[in-house]
Formats: sequence, C-alpha cells, structure tokens
Amino acid sequence: MAFDIGKYTATSVSVAWDDLDFEKFRTHPLPDYSLRTLRYMADVEYHTVCYTRDLLTTPSHKEADMSAFMTMWNREEFWHGEALATVLGIHGITVDFDELKATRLKLGWKDKLDPIKQAIGGKIVGNDFVAVHMAWGAANELSAIQAYNRMADLEEDPVLGELLRRIAKQEARHVAFYTSQARDRLAKSKRAQVIARFALKRFWAPVGSSIMDRVEVQHVMNHLMSGPDGRRAARRIDASISNLPGLEGLRIVENSLIALGIAA
Amino acid sequence: MTISADVLHGARFNVREFARTARGNHRAELDLSSFVNAPLQPDILNLVRYLGRLESATMEHLRNLLVTATHKDARVTAFLVTWAFEKFWIADALDAVLEANNVPRAQDVPEGKPRHTIKESNERRGPIRRAVAAIGLGVPIIAVHTTTGLIDEWIMTTSYERLATASKSPALASTIAIILDVKKRHAAFFADDSRRRLAGSRRAVRQTRAALMHAVWPIGAVDRAAGDRDLFEEFVFAGEAGKARIAAIAKRVSELPGLDERIAAVVAGRLRLAQ
Repeated sequence: MAFDIGKYTATSVSVAWDDLDFEKFRTHPLPDYSLRTLRYMADVEYHTVCYTRDLLTTPSHKEADMSAFMTMWNREEFWHGEALATVLGIHGITVDFDELKATRLKLGWKDKLDPIKQAIGGKIVGNDFVAVHMAWGAANELSAIQAYNRMADLEEDPVLGELLRRIAKQEARHVAFYTSQARDRLAKSKRAQVIARFALKRFWAPVGSSIMDRVEVQHVMNHLMSGPDGRRAARRIDASISNLPGLEGLRIVENSLIALGIAA
Repeated sequence: MTISADVLHGARFNVREFARTARGNHRAELDLSSFVNAPLQPDILNLVRYLGRLESATMEHLRNLLVTATHKDARVTAFLVTWAFEKFWIADALDAVLEANNVPRAQDVPEGKPRHTIKESNERRGPIRRAVAAIGLGVPIIAVHTTTGLIDEWIMTTSYERLATASKSPALASTIAIILDVKKRHAAFFADDSRRRLAGSRRAVRQTRAALMHAVWPIGAVDRAAGDRDLFEEFVFAGEAGKARIAAIAKRVSELPGLDERIAAVVAGRLRLAQ
C-alpha cells in the first residue's frame, strides 16, 4: 500500500503526555534497570538527527516526499526524547543538550568519516543507495516498535506503559513509510537488492550501537530481547525485513543478539 | 507571538520552549477566498513560488550543516529540527496561496537551470567536499552557520515585506504577516547564538568572515533556477529603494561582533550578483 505523505504530514503531532500522571513516579519510582534502558532510548531518539545527516548525503534529499517525511520524522523522534527525558527528570536524571553534545563529541574520527563514506557510497550507487537506506530505516524502526512494546509489556507500571505504547504507535507510521519506500525501490532494482542485503547482513547492529557503549547495548538487549519472548520479538522483526524484495531469509536481529551474547 | 522576553533580556534563547510551542499548519488562518475576486499578478505568484522553494529546501541545507561539527551541538540540532518543521509549514502556506490563485504548488512546477558563475562555485560544493573541508574547522564553524542563518533571516524578511507591499493584496499581506511572525523566533535564535559565538572566539570570526566572502543569498539560492533568482534580485534589490534595503542589511551585518563595514560591503555586493 502506498504511503500517503500528505496525510502523514497533516496529522504528525508531538507525542502527548500532559494527561499522564508522571508525578506518581516521585512516590513510586521505576527500577534502576528500567531507567537505564529509558536513558538509552532517550539518547537514541535525540540522536535521530545524526542519522538524518547520513541519509541526506545520498541523492534522496532532492525528493519532496522524502524531505517532507524526514522533517516530521525528526520532530516526532525529538519529542520521544523529550517525553522520556521528562520521565527520567522526575527520577532525578537530567538529560540536557550539553550532555548529549558530550556523547556526540566522544564519537570522534569514525563519526567524521561516516558521512564522507556514506556520501561517496551515495554517489557510486545513486538511487540504489536510497533503497538501502530505506531498508535500513525500516529495520531500525521495526526494532524501535518492538523495543517500546516489549518494555511496555515487561514494565508493570501503567503510566509508563501508556507512554511507550503512544511512542510505538508513532513508530508504526515510520515503519510504514520506510517499508513502502524500501519495497518500491528494491523491487525496481536488482542491484539495490544485492547491496541492501550485503549492507544489512554485514553492518546492521541494534539501533544506538554507534553512539552508545557496548555494555549499554547489552543491558538494553538483555532487558528487552532476552528469553523466549525476546527472541520471538526479534524473529518478528526479521520476518518483516525478510518480506522486502531480495531480503528473504535475513536474520539480522537474531544474529545481532547472538553476537552480543544475549540468552534466548 | 512575540520574541520571548528572555531573549530580549539577554538570557539564552529557550530551545525547549521554542520546540514546545512550534507552529504548524497555517491553512485555517489564511484568507484564501479573497484571491477568487482579487487574484495575484503573475510576477507576484512567481516570487511566492520562489520563496516557497527557498523555505522548503531545509533538508538540503541541513545536509550541508550536519556533515560538519554543527551536528555535534545538540542544542543547535534541537533548534534545527523545529526550525525545519516550521519552515515546512511556511512553504505549505505559500503553496496554499498558489493553489488559491489556480496555479500549481511549487514542487509540481519544473524548475529551470541554476546559475553557473565562477563567483558561486564554492557554494555548489557537495556534501563530500563540505565534510572534508570541515574536518579542520571544528566547532567554530557553528558560528558560520548561525551567522549566515541570521543574515538570511534579514534578507528573507526584507523580501517578504517588499512582496507584501508590492502585491497590494491584503490577503497576501496577512499571510506574510503570519510567516514573519513565525520567522521572528528563528532570527532570535540565530542572533543569540551567533553573537555569543562571534564575541567569544576569534577563530569563529575568522571562519565567518571567510564564509561571507563567497556566500550566496538567500541560503539555498545556489540550487534554485537562474531565472527565479534574477527576478528576485531585481524585485527586492534594484533601484533606489533596493539600494536602501541592501544598505540596511549591510549595516546590521557590520554591527555583528567581529564583523565590520568591509565585510558588510562584500555581503551587500553579493545580494545582486546577476547585475
């Protein structure tokens, strides 16, 4: 089904939490391991703009629909960061812009070279590279939905559960955009399929791996994706990715969990 | 909406407050039915389309910013996320004006070829050359981006005001009033950030002066059609009134920390590159 960009932009809103009783966390705080996971999620959401940069270095920025989507997408993700930061703030964990800046400065040289590498890649394979990015984005957004929903299931707190489900609902629209773009573009190009398959299989890692320490990635994956239920969630993501043209049989999420030593 | 009192009193621009109160879809506020009986002239519509194209090119501009150290500053990027959102809806308001005048939206009209002059070659750099060039520049380049952002706001505001007057259309003038109100906060952020950085770093001043030597105005114009740019420069900056507008912008440039009349004259000279 084609994604209706006009409808999406017209209905894009920042996630609401005014009606949720966050104040209750003052007397009923969330456990430390949950806060650690939320902190990770907030950081990833705030860093969305960095992923935009990589995407923008490909030919896709000239397309109006893509541009419109990315404008709204960035803003929604920023607000997910703000919502999670508000929950963390009530627990005495401050996420301010200066601290986020420190994380980005720590990225160092690898990060400086990334856009260059990406841009050169973008030049070489042209529009096929956009297809790769769309497939990549779909994998990321699918994982985000699973992560938020898994946390909502695991966390017995109804207020946090409601916030996470609201965020997941917005992520679902991002998945719809990325998968519809990826499907169309991959279907048109055998070469894009080959590159996307190679890139995902070789380089994909759980969202946040490039900006967070490995122990933090392991904490979050252990929290949300371990055990039989976690593994089932991972397989659901893999199954959705496998539905895209040329990506049949990929098991990137499950394999990344194995690589991180997350117990099934 | 007015500029927050915080900004006027020297406190830092509140990015969170800006994000929280971002202004989206303006269509319900626009007086579009008036255009039925009083349609705009073709040259005015062409300028509306051109301004819409400039406003909607945020992702192209962001690309150029984000491949440099600017992406590392979470406060600046948080601003830019909301800035892009508001500009999206400014462009949409301009599209609504076009549609109400029975002409297609900006993106549905093929754009002409860009200008190719040696004076602008530096600004046509792609992301690879920009990323490579920025490696040695480090954090002071953020001053370049926020200062050029500020000067761009002055130029665009001048252009909108000229368009509102020249159109003799109360309906267009009221649309432009809404747009200028939204843009006030963009200028306030850029003013706050650029003044702070220019005043605090000689490297920031040096890099900004160097960038202004070859900047193309308004930001993003380098990718736009030559014909549209000629029309725009003639409309806003030609004649005695145009010269006065250029002088007013140059004066403001000269008053920024570390800048002076010499660099302001360069900016002034580049506002009408086609002549």
